[in-house]
Amino acid sequence: MNLEELKKLKEKAQRQVALREGSKKYRVVVSMGTSGIAAGAREVMKTMLDEIEKRGLEDVEVRVTGEVGLEDVEPVIRVEEASGEKTTYAGLDVEKAKKIVAEHLEKGKKVDNLAVGKEKKPE
Amino acid sequence: MFEELSLHILDIAMNSLAAGARTIQITITEHARRDLLTIRVQDDGRGMDDDTLKRVLADLTTTKRSRKKDIGLGLALLRQTAEMCDGKFLVHSKAGAGATVTASMKLSHVDCPPLGDLNATILALCAANPAVDVQLHYLCGEEQFHFSSKEPAEKKVAGRPNPFWGGEEKTNYEPGRTQKVKRESTAAGCLA
Repeated sequence: MNLEELKKLKEKAQRQVALREGSKKYRVVVSMGTSGIAAGAREVMKTMLDEIEKRGLEDVEVRVTGEVGLEDVEPVIRVEEASGEKTTYAGLDVEKAKKIVAEHLEKGKKVDNLAVGKEKKPE
Repeated sequence: MFEELSLHILDIAMNSLAAGARTIQITITEHARRDLLTIRVQDDGRGMDDDTLKRVLADLTTTKRSRKKDIGLGLALLRQTAEMCDGKFLVHSKAGAGATVTASMKLSHVDCPPLGDLNATILALCAANPAVDVQLHYLCGEEQFHFSSKEPAEKKVAGRPNPFWGGEEKTNYEPGRTQKVKRESTAAGCLA
């Protein structure tokens, strides 16, 4: 751990806060319970934040939640769209997270082979 | 088992968020001379009463109602890491008065995990609930680093007295009265 690294944290946190304000087209919710953390949810989240920033996607916000009841297939994320549609992706790693950002969040195309369960129809 | 201490911190602090904390203080102290690494996570959430506290520490219990099975591993994992590294593990809490989790480790112990990516941990906590003030205090010998997500005014204090020693001395001289020495603890100022 060094202090230089910690200094960079401030700017980055501020940028990410700016990304979160206002209503967005996409909301990514990362499951960050004990099992999620152990499986690498934090790295997945970090990759997604970096990738979203790199691609300049402004209509996306990233949030974190506790356990979602899918402990055996962590890390799990849920992509919620403004229309109310929800897609859950499971068993992720850094590469898969990048793919989801590139396909789903940028082009609006779901990554079917990573998604689990049935999509919820908007009520 | 977590490979990094920062993952432990994230896990414990997520509990604080679940307890409705408005402020989370994470303090990391490295004592090279005493060969000690101390991690403290303090929150102002709803806390636990004595019974709950006993239950939580005794058998891998979670207090989260949303789960089908009441099992939680977060505290148990941190205790295992601390005790494995010749350290101590303490939880202080009162109902309605927040909770404090403290874990210490022997710095030079071969099993002592690296701190790891603390930045990612803080980012995750900020992302979890932007309304919560996440504070990080990192004290390593003479060097200090303080971070707060609410007021990102970075304060790096170098070359000032170690707060554990009582802090700076200020002299308030008033004529006609005995000279008083007022002590202002820098630690109290930073950690308030």
